[in-house]
This record gives sequence, C-alpha cells and structure tokens, in this order.
Amino acid sequence: MQLAGIRGLRAAAGFVMLALVAPGGALRGQATSYLDFDGLTRELRSLVDGSNLATMRSLGTSREGREIWLVEIRNPSGTPVDTRPGLLIVGNLEGDHLVGSALALETIRYLIDQNGGEANLDEQVVYVVPRLNPDGAEAMFAAVHHARRGNARPYDDDNDGRIDEDPPEDLNGDGFITVMRVPDPSGDYIIHPDDARLMKRADAGEGESGAYTLYREGRDSDGDGFLNEDGAGGVDLNRNFQHAYPYYERDAGPHMVSESEARALMDFVVAQRNIGAILTFGHSDNLVTAPNASGGLAGPKILDLPAFADASNADVFDKGVFRTQGRGFGGGGFGGGGGGQPRLRGAQPGRDNDPNSGRRPATTVNRQDVQYFEAVSEAYGEITGITRVGINREAEGAFFQYGYFQFGVPSFSTQGWGLPEPESDEQGAGEGRGGRGGGGADGTDAAVLAALEGAGIDAFVDWTPFDHPDLGDVEIGGFRMPAVMNPPGAELPELGRAHGEFAARLTSMLPRVRIADTEVTDHGGGVFTVSVEIENTGYFPTSLQHGVVSRSVQPTMVQIQVPPEALLTGDAKSSTVQQLEGSGARARFAWVIRGRQGASVEIRVRSQKGGTETATVTLR
Amino acid sequence: MTRIHIKGMAIATLVMVLATAVPVQQLAAQGSSDPEHTLPLTWDRWLDHDEIGERLRLMERTWPEFLTLQSTGTSYGGREMWVMTINNPRTGDEMNKAAMFIEANVHGNEIQGAEITLYTIWYLMENYGRIDEITRLVDERVFHLVPSVNPDGRDYFMDEAGSGARTGHVPVDSDGDGVADEDGPEDLNGNGIIEQIRKYVPGEGTHRISHVDSRILEAVPPGEKGDWVILGREGIDNDGDGRVNEDPVGGYDPNRNYASDWQPNYIQGGSMNYPFELPEARALNDFMMARPNIAGMQSFHNTGGMILRGPGAAWYGTYPTSDIRVYDELGEWGERMLPYYNYIVIWRGLYTVHGGSIDWTNDGLGIVSFSNELWNGGQYFNSPLLQAQRQDPNSPISGQRSRFFFDDFLEFGDQYVEWTPFEHPEYGSVEMGGWKKLAGRVNPRFLSMELFHRNMAFTLYHADQMPLMSMGESTVERVDGNLFRVRVDITNERLIPTITERARQNNVVRPDLLTVDGNVDVIAAGWVPNKFLPGPTQMIEQEELDRILIRSGHTGRTTRTIEYLVSGSGSMTVQYSALKGGTASTTVQLR
Repeated sequence: MQLAGIRGLRAAAGFVMLALVAPGGALRGQATSYLDFDGLTRELRSLVDGSNLATMRSLGTSREGREIWLVEIRNPSGTPVDTRPGLLIVGNLEGDHLVGSALALETIRYLIDQNGGEANLDEQVVYVVPRLNPDGAEAMFAAVHHARRGNARPYDDDNDGRIDEDPPEDLNGDGFITVMRVPDPSGDYIIHPDDARLMKRADAGEGESGAYTLYREGRDSDGDGFLNEDGAGGVDLNRNFQHAYPYYERDAGPHMVSESEARALMDFVVAQRNIGAILTFGHSDNLVTAPNASGGLAGPKILDLPAFADASNADVFDKGVFRTQGRGFGGGGFGGGGGGQPRLRGAQPGRDNDPNSGRRPATTVNRQDVQYFEAVSEAYGEITGITRVGINREAEGAFFQYGYFQFGVPSFSTQGWGLPEPESDEQGAGEGRGGRGGGGADGTDAAVLAALEGAGIDAFVDWTPFDHPDLGDVEIGGFRMPAVMNPPGAELPELGRAHGEFAARLTSMLPRVRIADTEVTDHGGGVFTVSVEIENTGYFPTSLQHGVVSRSVQPTMVQIQVPPEALLTGDAKSSTVQQLEGSGARARFAWVIRGRQGASVEIRVRSQKGGTETATVTLR
Repeated sequence: MTRIHIKGMAIATLVMVLATAVPVQQLAAQGSSDPEHTLPLTWDRWLDHDEIGERLRLMERTWPEFLTLQSTGTSYGGREMWVMTINNPRTGDEMNKAAMFIEANVHGNEIQGAEITLYTIWYLMENYGRIDEITRLVDERVFHLVPSVNPDGRDYFMDEAGSGARTGHVPVDSDGDGVADEDGPEDLNGNGIIEQIRKYVPGEGTHRISHVDSRILEAVPPGEKGDWVILGREGIDNDGDGRVNEDPVGGYDPNRNYASDWQPNYIQGGSMNYPFELPEARALNDFMMARPNIAGMQSFHNTGGMILRGPGAAWYGTYPTSDIRVYDELGEWGERMLPYYNYIVIWRGLYTVHGGSIDWTNDGLGIVSFSNELWNGGQYFNSPLLQAQRQDPNSPISGQRSRFFFDDFLEFGDQYVEWTPFEHPEYGSVEMGGWKKLAGRVNPRFLSMELFHRNMAFTLYHADQMPLMSMGESTVERVDGNLFRVRVDITNERLIPTITERARQNNVVRPDLLTVDGNVDVIAAGWVPNKFLPGPTQMIEQEELDRILIRSGHTGRTTRTIEYLVSGSGSMTVQYSALKGGTASTTVQLR
C-alpha cells in the first residue's frame, strides 16, 4: 500500500475511519496535542472513571515522584482476570517519545469505547502503562526542548566527579537545542554538496578536506575543554533492560534494571505471567519491518547530524589516562615481596575447563517464531498503513527485546508513525546503510528531512550565524528533534484510533486454551477411562518456540482432580504439553481411574498464556 | 590522621622483633599466662541468625568507639541484614579511608563464613593496642562485615532440618503448577534430620552395600544389578500431584543475581528475573554503591579450599594484565597462608558462574575481590604421610571409608545416622538414614579456630594491600620573580592501584583528583619521568590544571613526581584524593 507516512496517514486513517464509522464515528474527546503529566493523569482518570471496563493504579513512582500509571482494561464480570490471556502495552519509555504515551492513551480510549473491538474483554485483559518515563516526558514541556531520552537520575556522564555540570544551552533562544557548526581546518566535516543544510564526514579518498567541527548547542560550562558532555537526564529506560544490555555505556545506567521505573515495570511483569504478548511504543522497530527469515532485526537508522555533534565528546574518557609508571619499590604492609610475571592461569590441579563450553543466550528470533512476527507485522501495516520508518534505534537493553528473549512471548516495538514512501526507488536506496556511514543527502538525514518537509512539518532550524562567547563565529541550526521524534498533534486521533484497533487485533491473536471434548468409558467394577481433548482456539501457540527454549513459558497443564491412589494407569495426574499450536490444534489425555458410579470428577486445564478452564465429568 | 608507617618498615620491624627486640606488650606478659580477653567468646558452636545478632550487639556494646552495627535492610523472611562497621574515628572519617567489605553465607548452607566475620571483629578488637600491626591496620582502614547475606537460608539450615538450604526464601514455582513452594521435604520420623530414602529391591537396584563397610552404599558398575534404589530425600507428596518434594522453599541461587554478566535462567539456572531482584542482594548492593571507598572484598563460601577470583565465565573476557598481576600476588600469598587452598579463576578451575557477586564488585564497582571456598577435604588427614596412605585402597582411610573413619574416631559417630526401616505413604517399606547436614561441606567444629584464623589473616593481608596514598618529598625552585617550579612526590604505598584497569575501562570509579589550593596560578603541570635525571616532563593536557583528573589512578607501590610551573606567592597546598586510597596532601611555601 502506497498510502503511508505523514501525508499518507491522512489517507490511511481515512481508511480506518471508514472501517470504524459504523460503531459511532469519532471517539469522544480525543486529544490533538501532547499532554504533560497532570494532563495525562486527568485524561486517564476521566476515561477510567467513566467506564466499568477499566481500572487504574500506580506501579510505583519515578525518581521525581511521579506515578507510573497502569490501566487495566477488562470486563470484571468475566473469568478471573489474573488467569486471562493478556496484552501489555508500554509507551514513552524514552522521554522524548511523547507520541508513545499519546498512542497508549488513545488505545485505552478505543478499547473502552469499542468494548474491546476485536479483543474479548470477558476473557482477555489489556494492561497499559502509557508513560514509563514521566520525568523524561515532563522535560519535553520545559521552555527549551532537549529531546532527552533519560529519566531524572543525576548522573556523572563524563565521570569527572561533578554531576550534570555541563548541559547544553539554547544560545540563540529559539527553544530548541540544535547543533553548532564551527569553521575549523582540523575538523572532520564538510557541508554536504547536495544539500547545504546537511553535513558529511570529509572523505580524504575523494579529495575532501574537513572544514567544520560540530557540537551540540551550548557552552563549556565546567571549563574542561568539552562542550555539553554532562547534562541532565540520567538513564535511558529503554536501554536499562536485560537483553543485549550495553554494559557501562552512556545512558544505560550503572547496571541492568537499575532504575526505579524499570524495576517497577519488571516487578509487575514477572508477577503477571498471564501476559501473552507485549507491544511497546519506542525508538526501535520490529513491526513495520518484521525480523528477517534468520530472525534478525532491520539495521539501525540514526541521524548523522546530532551523532556528529555528540562525537565531539568521544574522547572525554581518554583525558586523564596516564601510563607513567613512576618508581616502584618493595612491599609495604605486612605482606610485601612477590611481583613477577602474571601467571595468567587459574586452573586447579587436575581441572582445567574448556573456555568454549557452556550455552549462550539467543540473539535472533527463533526461526520457528518468525512466522508469527511476520503475521503481526502484516496486520500492523494493514491497519495503520505505516510502511516506512524514519529513525530506528539499535535495540540494546530495550524492553521489547526482554519481552521476547527472556519473557518468551511475542513482543513488539514501533515508533507509532511513519514516513511517506519516497517518490522513486532511487531516492531511498541509500537508507539501508544506516546513519553511521558517510551520511548526507542519500542517507537517513536527507530521507527524514525530505519526508517531514513534504508533510509540511518544520523540523529543521536553518543555519544562522551566531557570535559564540567562547568559539567566536559559529552557525547554529539542525533538526528540531521533538518534531523528528513525534508527529504533529493533529495526527494523534487518527494514529491513535489505528493503534487501538491494532492492539485489539493483537489481543485477539493470543492463545486461548479450552476443553473441547471429554469422554468417560465405564469398564465395570468401578473402573473408568476418563479422557479429555484440549484445543487452542487462539492464533499464537501456547508458547513460542523460544518460550520453550528459554523455559520462560510454562507448559500447559491438564490435571485430573482425583486422589493419586485412584489413578490405575494412563497419563500422570498432572500432565503437560509443552506447546500447543494455535488455530485449533488439539491434544488428548486419558486416565484409567477407580471411582464411584455416578461421582463427579473435575478436570482442570491451566495454560499460562492461554487461560484456565475446568470441566466436570460424571463417572457412568 | 597519624600514620607512623613508612614503606619497607613493616618487614624491618618484624625482623627486629624476631632477632633482638621484644615489644612492650610481650614484656608485660612474660612469665605469666596470656592476658585475659575483654570478651571471652568460644568458637566451637555454629550460630543461628538470632545468636549472630546477639553476639554482634554484645561486641558493639563492648567496643562502642570502633564498632557500629546497622541493618541495611531485611531479608525476604524479615530478618535483619546485619553489617558491622569497624572504624577508628580518631584517625578520620569512615569515607576518607579505604574500606574492606567481607560477606559470607550467601548460600544458606555454607555457614562458616559468618563465624569468620565474627571472629575477625573480635580478633581485631581484642588485639587493638596489643599487637602493633593490628593497631595500625585498624587505624588505617575501615571494615564492613556481613555475617550472613542469606539469613533465611541460614536459619532454615540451622534451626530446621536443613536440607536444600542453598537458596533464599523468595517463593519460586519450581514445578510450574501455579503454586510456589508447596511441596518440600519434611522430617517424617521426627528425628530432626532430613535423611535419604532407600528401598530394598533385590536384583533390580542401582546400588549395593559395600563389602568393605556395610554403611557404604555404592553404585553398581554398568551391566550389574544392585539390591537398592535411592528414592531421594525424606518427604511426601504434599500437593497430591504424584511427585515428592518437587517444589521446596525458594529454588534459586542467590549468588547468580548480581549485575555483571547476569544471564537469564535458561543460560544460568537460578538467576531469577533480573539482577538485584532479591532483597538481600539489593540491600547489600545499595550499601556498597553508597560507599565508593570500598576497595577490597571477600565473599566466603564453601567448600573445596579455593581462593577464587573472576571472571566467572570465559566468554566474558579476561582481566587486564595489570589487574591480573595484582590478583596473582594476593592469591599466591594467600596460598601460602592457607594450606590445601588453591588460587583459581572461577570458570577455569571451578565451573562457569554468570552473575556472581565478585564479578559484579570487580567489574561494576572496581573492587579487588576474592571468594574463598572454605574447607578442603584434605584437611581431614592433613599430613603428607596420611595423604600418601589414603592412596592405598586397603587403608581404612582410603576412598569413602575415610569419612567413616574420621567420623568414628574423631567425631565419635556424631555425623552419621544408621539406616532404619520406615513405612512411607507413597513408597511403602523403605529405609531412611545417611550423613547429617554438617558432614562434608562444613569443617568439624574442633578445627574451626584454625580455619577462621587463617582465612581472617588472608582478608587482613588483602585489606592491608588496599591503596594508601601519601605525599613524599617536595621541592620549590624559584625560576624568577613570582614564577616557581614545584615538585611533589606522590606515593601509593600498597599493592592495589587506586583504580583498577578494569574500573577505568568501565568508568565506574571516580577518577583520582590532584588539586592545588592557594594564591597561585598553575601555568603548566607534568609528570617527571625520573627526578634523578634531567630531562623533559610529560605535560598534562587538561584545561583545569588546579584540578587534574587521573582516570588511570595510581599504580600500586609506586611513587610519581608531579611538577607544577606556578606563579604566585605564599603557601600552596597540593592534594591527592583517591576514593579508594584516601586523601593525602602537602603544603609548600613559595619563596
């Protein structure tokens, strides 16, 4: 479908509207602008208060004391909620990704308004955490837009013993932190020959010589020779989770799940094992582009211009490394002596283990699971019309990756909006290379700029001369990052409605295990054969293959409620099936028992992701 | 802070003591018995959590000037996480001295380390002012001692029947039936011991009675039939699911829940869902992260006689060479202090561990860390002669017989329960019996003193080798007018660097700071390669020369000379501040 992106979305959303016009047209009170914490809280409260289908509670508080809201959407009069197949939606993990919380909010509105839509709220439940990072989001409503991803943990980013002492500054007072380009014969960058707004790394092989150094807008507040290397905004929550965690890297925090917000989410998730699928709104994507046949995600696409500016601080950790040995001397204290060559050993007598032994964690989606990601991706494209992402961040320590690789369920991330298709194939050809390469007019910067401009979005501050107090004549310009990361507010109702419908579709795909058939055979003398057939009427299997491999999804258990000594032969009292495919696959269990003619026997089936059910048979 | 110690003096002092002089305290004691202990404690009983708490409070009351007892949180079962801090406030604030962190008993059944920490507190306090080296150590350093990282597991081991006490008590649904911890072992015959269950099945079993000693149950070789099968531990099918003891209390490994190379359960069993999910690990990590002056760490485990260092997993990479050099010296020194112990890299000589505590403290907190596996089976028969005799299959101390010999003649049969018939509700006629919970992993009580003392001595040696900064000779040379060249010697007196190379790579320790105070303007600063030779300096290219960042820290047992070119007058103070090595400063007059 060619209708996509900002421009295309209007058309795509029109399609959505057509599909939904029957139940009652536009939804009540949809937001057309982004909401701060108080605004979001009020909106959630009014939605929840106005419906018996939703409840709301706090999972915990952020560092600055804001609540992390959880909204639970279900019909309370159905089956016990904690055993129902559930979808978890998490938004706004990155502080600057406000659109995530807006889509989460609109999804809640949709599900309440449409009584779940394709989701069955009598038997299923949808959990929504609209804004995991309320402190980071709140910073977006400050007078100056930093486009910061992290939470509010004070963090010594440059490890110099001072915390948050050198933030960027809005020198030209336009309300945005953009980029400074400074004429510098020893700089690495030149103005892009195809688009004077963009920069590229000078390629000596092409006879190019660098003419500019790039910095984030601001001053060297702490006088250490680096500009804006330690601003506010500590830990990026979507880099703080346990899969492919970027140890000791910037914004990742001191360790996995170090942040109160991340921990609040983890404690909820691990206690809520009925969650059978996860949808996050964030900077990475595996929905617009599904994992490939080998299970790998699409490569990252990032903007060069801000990355070039950040690179000006790349060697901040090198200053202060001295290899001066000084003068050594003999032992102090009551030990002393020793020294000599490192023995680089550590085996014990008779034992020297193989360094290559031991199992390693999966890093790609299991090939047997790829089909399910493809199917969901197809549904996503069909419902939202989004076919092309602008920026795609490498998913290191991202929550949705935890969801698949360790929690073991289908788990997704999307930006929640997209770029229109390029005019011709040629123009998009360079995109796949990602942002780190040469950059320039055939890369991500140009594609994003062209798409946003085409949609009438003013996402770029044109370079203008500025007299910098320390650096002299510079130019300030570059991307308005909030506009790059978030669509215009006017798009939110349509995008929100589409994502509400998608969330309902995803919920409808959860496994659903039922007792399809029971049978009792009387052999006389108080001996009976009891058999049961269970069926998964959902779309997903009761466990993905990786859920089995990672042992994170329990097998589906079928239990006959008779004393162990009544079992004569046949299946175990508690029998299991590792994995039951969806779309009607069945499994059969049978027990030969001793019992009283006319007695009732209960059979229970318990599927962690597919619900529970009890059937009663009569021995006769 | 008074510090009389200078480099090389310790050894000189020891030699003097042995050769000629007799210290004052020994003179006083000559010709009489040992001085009375301030607190006469015995060390041949294993204590439960309440008793440990009582003993800690008693010691704190006895030596209130040095000891501070605090609880850094509660375990899942609501027990206090005790930390005893030893600090002499007269030699400075706790945070200005390097601290040694000693923890024990993270596995509930590995109990002895708790008593070592108690012994260490007691020994340091009893001998402060009595033994010069102990006095100096207590004056120079801070100690944090955690008797039990897993008090729930410890009490389960001590007070209850004690089977399967490695884990903590956070509930885990081990059998996947939606209910946690509903089917553990129990003491069916009420003798206070969780025994093994065996069943007599003539000609159909996997085990047979040894003809050497009828108490030995040995596995039959392939192709042969035995008369016994082992059915597991004492217990019944509590939840009626047809399985016995399949979901006991807890069910994880509390020493796989730390944040370095943490791996999910299917890669590292028992790791839980995320690092520091366990309240005990979280409480202690919060305590350590708030104290960046902790420079040394010991985590006592059992068993096997090992001085372990990381990494826990080969594919996590090796330590930088300069760090290995430090570990090697400490570890090899320890091997000489601890007979039957080997200095070992965890993955290579033991087995692979992901997410263990000392991997985290080394990699994430920059702390030089060891884990001693207390007690080696060789210590049952600790002479070369007896070790040789054990190789003779006819000897009563060979093979499995040796354990019965030791129990019969040195513990008088205290550790073994004879097999006795029992009518089991699910298994029918069986026998129950076997070794008691203390046998094997925990040293015999009568050997505790030596085990405690030797292991304490290793941790004190480790503590003494933590970085210790001092300022040495300084010179001032007037170039002309108000322009001076100032040189100061800066020394780390001990083996461990102020910042390990791994800590520098990970940027987890604040850099050392070399600062200048006074009415001076620092024009240039540089390292002097060799102050005894003329020649250029290595200029320091930083913007703030009155606050120089030293990310690579100060190497152990090394003196460096800094040269400043300054303009100014009056006094100039040069200070070196290392989070893990203390602060040292010197003041010179510009004239």
